[in-house]
Amino acid sequence: MLGIDFNAIPKLFLFDSSDPLLFGSSLFFFLFLGLLILNRIVAKSTNARISLLILFSFYFYYKASGLFLLLLILNAVINFYLGKYLGKAESEGKQKLYLYLSLLFNLGILIYFKYTNFFIEVINDFTAGNIQPLDIILPLGISFYTFKSLSYILDIYLEMMEPTNSFRDYLLFVTFFPNILSGPIDRASQFLPQVNKKYFLTRKQVAMGIMLIMLGLIKKIMIADYISLNFIDRVFDAPERFTGVENLLAVYGYALQLYCDFSGYSDIAIGLGLLLGFRLMENFNYPFKAKSISEFWRRWHISLSSWLLDYVFRPLQMGLRNWRKAGNIIALIITFVLVGFWHGASWAFLFWGLLHGIYMAVGLLLQGPKRKLYSKFNFTKTKIFGGMQIFVTFNLVAFSFVFFRASDFSSAIDVFYQIIYFFKPSVFIQFAESFTPTFVLISLGFLFHFLPSKLNEKTVNWLANRNVILQAVIFALVIWIVAQVQSADLQPFIYFQF
Amino acid sequence: MISDRLKNIICKELNLDPASIEITDETQAPEVPGWDSLNHANIIVAIEKDYGVRFKGLEVLKCNNVGALQRLVDSKTAK
Repeated sequence: MLGIDFNAIPKLFLFDSSDPLLFGSSLFFFLFLGLLILNRIVAKSTNARISLLILFSFYFYYKASGLFLLLLILNAVINFYLGKYLGKAESEGKQKLYLYLSLLFNLGILIYFKYTNFFIEVINDFTAGNIQPLDIILPLGISFYTFKSLSYILDIYLEMMEPTNSFRDYLLFVTFFPNILSGPIDRASQFLPQVNKKYFLTRKQVAMGIMLIMLGLIKKIMIADYISLNFIDRVFDAPERFTGVENLLAVYGYALQLYCDFSGYSDIAIGLGLLLGFRLMENFNYPFKAKSISEFWRRWHISLSSWLLDYVFRPLQMGLRNWRKAGNIIALIITFVLVGFWHGASWAFLFWGLLHGIYMAVGLLLQGPKRKLYSKFNFTKTKIFGGMQIFVTFNLVAFSFVFFRASDFSSAIDVFYQIIYFFKPSVFIQFAESFTPTFVLISLGFLFHFLPSKLNEKTVNWLANRNVILQAVIFALVIWIVAQVQSADLQPFIYFQF
Repeated sequence: MISDRLKNIICKELNLDPASIEITDETQAPEVPGWDSLNHANIIVAIEKDYGVRFKGLEVLKCNNVGALQRLVDSKTAK
């Protein structure tokens, strides 16, 4: 009578690779609300609360990735025990043994699932062989949880933390659903001490959590999904059919889309974590405000860039320290090629990483001469100069993302070709007229990005001091507006594929 | 306690005036102006040269503040 097919309901809750529990979906919000209520009820017993969160996380992962849940649990078991033995090992040799075993296990699984077919392809290309690619399905989130576990082992090895005695706590760290599929790649040293804290939220924390979730939904659904479906995808699918001006706007728009998609996801993850009593790692800090590429990497995907800084760049740099600048440059290039390769097994990602490594190396080589030049002309203090640095950095970043987005090298080249040889600035007016909502959203997206970051803090304070009913009304209103703009089905988050 | 010798090496490498800056056992690299991840290696090399010692990479990576670095230097020079 209500038009509800009750037989279809159980199916909704079962594993379906095409239907993971996306943060923006109504089923997720319904389940999360239930979880919050249960969490509140059992809050007095840490054991019950943590068990509840682990069970929910198991379910969340099962819904997205099915039986790969067992692999996730295996990851937690193996790393927990290796961490324990590593912490107890007294001789350097034994410590190395447990470290290598962990690296072998974690990287072995990651490489098997993520890179086998790429290597087969490369071998075929070089030997003109004909090895058939394997039928491998990538377990969701594997790049993220593998790195989480590795940080635990590496921090114990580097004596930055003691191994935990509680398997329950470690299991929650590895499987915690807000960050399991796309990060932030939290550090065990920061997460584990929070597990046994009493569950208590201040008004401000609640407001912060809600605000982050709202912000994430707006970024993801209103900006990223809308501009990609209505404009950016069309240009990147056939760049040669658009003028240079449209290609340029698509390049700038894609930088915004990627930022809104991924940082929107991170905002929601951090907001959900906060409502459950966990402070997750910051992942983005207004990246397009960066005045240099190295500053960009301190603001973009911070949990990954700081991971690679601590565990790849620093050891490499230390090993090569007698080579001075050359050592730094080699360490930079290797680190950034790995940044690219972490994103996926393709030449385009490798090239994108290499490009950033080159940016960083050139930046390092120019450091001395630039400093002299700037202080001679007293440039650095002027606002215009700062603005120029931001503009140049943004362009370097946005153009590097062309290789991230384009389906292959030749279509990436097409984008540049159109911009250089077929610019047609007059089309800009036409574009603004015929793609008005897209144009407005892109402009608003960048405008909000460049507003003073203090504004965020002020909004949270304001929201925290309203009463609950008004807060609920605002939240409902935001969801309603987002639902109005939502163009089609919720688009999967870009970073799920990594 | 951070020795004047260690402090002077760090300040010389970073072009800082030792009188204008305080470095304690708990000081971490990012708190010292100019001590970033890129020139970290230069500072370590300068310390090794000045004291005539050689650190293992892992020993340096384990130092999470200047106090730990001082203890590492002390352990090498005591031998």
